[in-house]
Amino acid sequence: MNFGRFIACWLLGASLLPAADAKKEVAREAALKEADAKALAANMAAYDKDVRPFLERHCISCHGPKKLKGELALDLLDADMKESTSASRWAVVRDKLEQGDMPPDGEPQPSPEDSAKVLAWIKAEMKRSRRNFKERLQQISGNKVQHDLLFDPNQAARLMIAPRIRRHSVELYETFRRAQAKGFENLVGNPFTSDPRFIFRDMGTPHMDVPTTSQLIRNAVTIMERLTGHTMEKGALKPMIGSKKEFLAFVDPKKPLDEAAMNKALDLQFKRVLERQPSDAERTRFLKLFEKTVKEAGRVAGVRYTLAAVYLVPDAIFRWELGGKAGADGRSRLRPAEIADSLAFALTDERPPAWLVKAAAEGELDTAEGVAAAVKKMFADPKLRRPRIIRFFHEFFEYRKALEVFKNPEDFRHHKARVLVSDTDNLIRWILERDKDVLRELLTTDKAFVNTRYDANKKQLVRYERKGLLHSSYSLPPDWKWTSEQPIAMPNGTRAGILTQPAWLVAWSVNQDNHAILRGKWIRERLLGNVVPDIPITVDAQLPEAPEKTLRERMAVTREAYCWQCHKLMNDVGTPFENYDHFGRWRALELERPVDATGGIDQTGDKRIDGMKTKTAVEFVRALAKSERVEQVFVRHVFRFFTGRNENLGDGPSLRAAHKAYRDSGGSFQALVTALLSSDSFLYRTPKLAAKAAD
Amino acid sequence: MRIQPNRREFLRNTGLGAGALALGPVAQQLRARAEGKVPKTPRFVFVVESNGLPPHHIVPSGIKRKPRRQQALNGPAEFFDASLKGRKLPMSLEPIAKWQDKVTIVQGLSGRVAGGGHSNNFKALGANGEGQKGESTSILGPTVDGVLAQHIGGIFPHIGLGISKRLENSVVYSISAIGKNKPLPIMVKPDQAMGTLFGSVANGNAKNDFLAKRNLLDFLREDVKRVEKTLGGPEKEQLSAYLATFDTLSDRQSRLNEIEHTLRKHAPVANDKYTSEVETDRLDAQFDLGAAALIAGLTNVLTLSSAAGIRDFDICFKGLGLTKGKHHTGHGGGQNGMDYNGVYNFIRRFHFEQIAKLCKRLESIPEGNGTMLDNTVIVYLSDGAEAHHSRTWEWPFILIGNAGGKLKTGRYVDYPGYGMLGHRTTANLYTTFLNLAGNNAERFGMADPNLKDLDQTGPLTELLA
Repeated sequence: MNFGRFIACWLLGASLLPAADAKKEVAREAALKEADAKALAANMAAYDKDVRPFLERHCISCHGPKKLKGELALDLLDADMKESTSASRWAVVRDKLEQGDMPPDGEPQPSPEDSAKVLAWIKAEMKRSRRNFKERLQQISGNKVQHDLLFDPNQAARLMIAPRIRRHSVELYETFRRAQAKGFENLVGNPFTSDPRFIFRDMGTPHMDVPTTSQLIRNAVTIMERLTGHTMEKGALKPMIGSKKEFLAFVDPKKPLDEAAMNKALDLQFKRVLERQPSDAERTRFLKLFEKTVKEAGRVAGVRYTLAAVYLVPDAIFRWELGGKAGADGRSRLRPAEIADSLAFALTDERPPAWLVKAAAEGELDTAEGVAAAVKKMFADPKLRRPRIIRFFHEFFEYRKALEVFKNPEDFRHHKARVLVSDTDNLIRWILERDKDVLRELLTTDKAFVNTRYDANKKQLVRYERKGLLHSSYSLPPDWKWTSEQPIAMPNGTRAGILTQPAWLVAWSVNQDNHAILRGKWIRERLLGNVVPDIPITVDAQLPEAPEKTLRERMAVTREAYCWQCHKLMNDVGTPFENYDHFGRWRALELERPVDATGGIDQTGDKRIDGMKTKTAVEFVRALAKSERVEQVFVRHVFRFFTGRNENLGDGPSLRAAHKAYRDSGGSFQALVTALLSSDSFLYRTPKLAAKAAD
Repeated sequence: MRIQPNRREFLRNTGLGAGALALGPVAQQLRARAEGKVPKTPRFVFVVESNGLPPHHIVPSGIKRKPRRQQALNGPAEFFDASLKGRKLPMSLEPIAKWQDKVTIVQGLSGRVAGGGHSNNFKALGANGEGQKGESTSILGPTVDGVLAQHIGGIFPHIGLGISKRLENSVVYSISAIGKNKPLPIMVKPDQAMGTLFGSVANGNAKNDFLAKRNLLDFLREDVKRVEKTLGGPEKEQLSAYLATFDTLSDRQSRLNEIEHTLRKHAPVANDKYTSEVETDRLDAQFDLGAAALIAGLTNVLTLSSAAGIRDFDICFKGLGLTKGKHHTGHGGGQNGMDYNGVYNFIRRFHFEQIAKLCKRLESIPEGNGTMLDNTVIVYLSDGAEAHHSRTWEWPFILIGNAGGKLKTGRYVDYPGYGMLGHRTTANLYTTFLNLAGNNAERFGMADPNLKDLDQTGPLTELLA
């Protein structure tokens, strides 16, 4: 914003410079040019001495005239980043070198000193050319961190987590605004959005922008106008709809607004918004604002706008994970209050419950054991709503997308996406209540809830839809009678876990057909931990239209060499679900021929499943459920969701410990989350190390 | 009544010379106008009335239009183009007959992606949607007024004014957005809107709100800065970004102070209509306020919402002597001796009287070799597209203004039926607006998947001069 103004000044200012200034300007430019020439000479000399030989030794055999892998010709990559556009590609070289991705395993590895020289050169030339491609402390795809290294017990990279300040989650503000604007929710919108680049909604660090702040101010003022809404009739205050007696007192001309009343108003509002009392310093500042505003803008506006400000102080917008003073090892532990907040924000959409705030103040969160005990207590607290648990599964499996896939009712009139989603919700809840072998159950259970809705008031499962044969989505016979004894076992060998539930299958389908490629991508990324590249912009990813052919036959086009480099990751792990039609119904025939649901697993790095060929969807997911790799990739996703960031190598010990806790507890999801929330990765920050990496 | 001063005169005298650099693009624009130059881009005013605009209500004399069916290939294969010259505008449009040579009646566009229903909400100006899901209030992307606002800029890049059927509402989020899930406010209390726009020179509550808001912004700026100072490292960026938003908002407040003289000249005088319980009074006040905001240079993109959006669409215009709401009219109910078509036209005529008033105000302000009206495009539509229960096979529009000669006006045009070669959508019309504003976008909103055989990119070239 100031930039625009800067440009405007600069454009208009250039011609207005007096002659003396113009001379100075010329001299300055000459000096700059000279300095740059020197730096250029130094950098080019360093390139010839350190970089070029390194490239020839380690890189050019694959990225040069002979092979040109990744379309990267390092022999031709311009060393002068200022006069060329090479800097972005040099940034790739830097990242690959730093992460040890290149040269690949099995090739001679450069010495750390040689690598360091190349890295230093890249940084120096980027600095000179002012083409600073920032290193990403956090990759957008967490899978980019090598799985084997992460789970290698001997790998001992240092913990590296930047202190963080994050805007409150979309859902927390949602809960908050609904509570604050009860009865007029539609006038107080939620301006927060999540960063769509990440797989989980509450990841990344979206910045505040003007429209968001504007709306927050409007929300705050709207709420205060409501709470103090009134008209004056013959000198007497008459309350309007939605006003609150305790707030009306402050705008009633018949009642005094002295310092005591102002203090009372602030206490009330801090409690209402921040669930705490103002500190002494805050009180002083707010009283000053209060008096000034009442004096200048009158009592009504003074009360409204002063109290509205409480909604906008940094504490109301952000969560803090800064940590206290760093120890000798460079680590700083989150402060107790920060831990209490972080635990609450990990499991709930609210600020921490009173008992947790108290526990933090009394030192109960000062040890990892203490934190673990608090997490257990949170799981056991019947009054505490923990919406983020089921949300993890929503965002992990993404079966709620079924609600967005349009199906023609004429093709199958018993399809009701919201019922299917509710059924899968209930199945997950049921598995979580048992809390045993959770992942295996999620992937292999032969049970399903059919046409069910959980009635929160009655606290029991009820029939969702009275009309229609909704159970035919599950391929149950037409005369099947609904029962409250759920879940029920599915017909022999037709279903195994969430990935064979109609909700998930529909979510990963299109209007008229299955979508084996998206399903395969999901399996690859979320269960096997591979990185599937984005579709190149040059590719028009469309399967041919041919109603006489099966999806598998139409997918044959992806076997062309150019397509196959990516599709080999997706096709074979997506086609097993051809056992179901695009409404999620089990089928034996497709186009009057027996269904081909064969699939295969490879390139996972887990010897137990690599090379496996499967005939049916059920066989396929059962094989996945046996894999330790799949279990670890699941742990990685749980980590990302509950810490709100992607893992790096320094999180290895926390991940390994969490995985062990999961195993040792017989597959308890609560044990897994407890281990993660009491791990070093959750509780510590490393300000200096992290700053260095981002430098 | 006050005599309108020459716009160039007062702009020259408002002290814009010295402080102009600090004021940035808006002030430059004002200064340019003061020097007799024409703004680079036209201004846009969107007037959105709820409850649908039936196509047969806006056909001028001498033109026969066949009703179109609710299905594909529902109209002629040919593009129809007729001059408005010598024709009589239908009853509801009569108030703008004086500017008939600047009017374009646009028929035959579709907006199927929006989904239809009583209101298309953010999809009406968004030209996007989920197809089947009518009446959804999801915000899938920016609306055309939001994009224009960002592109053209201004002290207030976008101003949304309107009326809500509920008196207790002060701001609603109903039809405009600046991005996905980022709605733009429509201020529905004229007195409060007055405080936001002209509060620095107003009296009473408006002035108080303005002063209190300034204090709030100053306070928060200090408060955030204080916290920001205690931080180092990348985490500081979060607070810096938050602080920057207050800088921008405070800056806006102080800019309002700096152009106080201009504002004082143009601030409407608040009257009973500003707080009236009668819907037509409040809408009347909002049109006055909107005109003043345009003339004072506060904005270049104005959206006037007459109870648009699903929560307000069935408003009742008691000020017109009606006792039954628009829902009743939409379902074929007549009243006061009029059948439902008559009621539709009667209500719309009131809106065009307001639009005529706006035209007159803009025409009274010289700009370049002409007037402000010459550089303004007024767009009238309904968020309910073509009917009470819209199906969006058709979406009629009325445009006023030729955008500095860039639009060929004084015409009645009708596009070929849905799916026919040459058929166009609201997305194309909005692309036209973006192009007029110097944004070279090829398309806007979402393409209609059922028209994939047609070229859906580019502006409506038929409308361009």
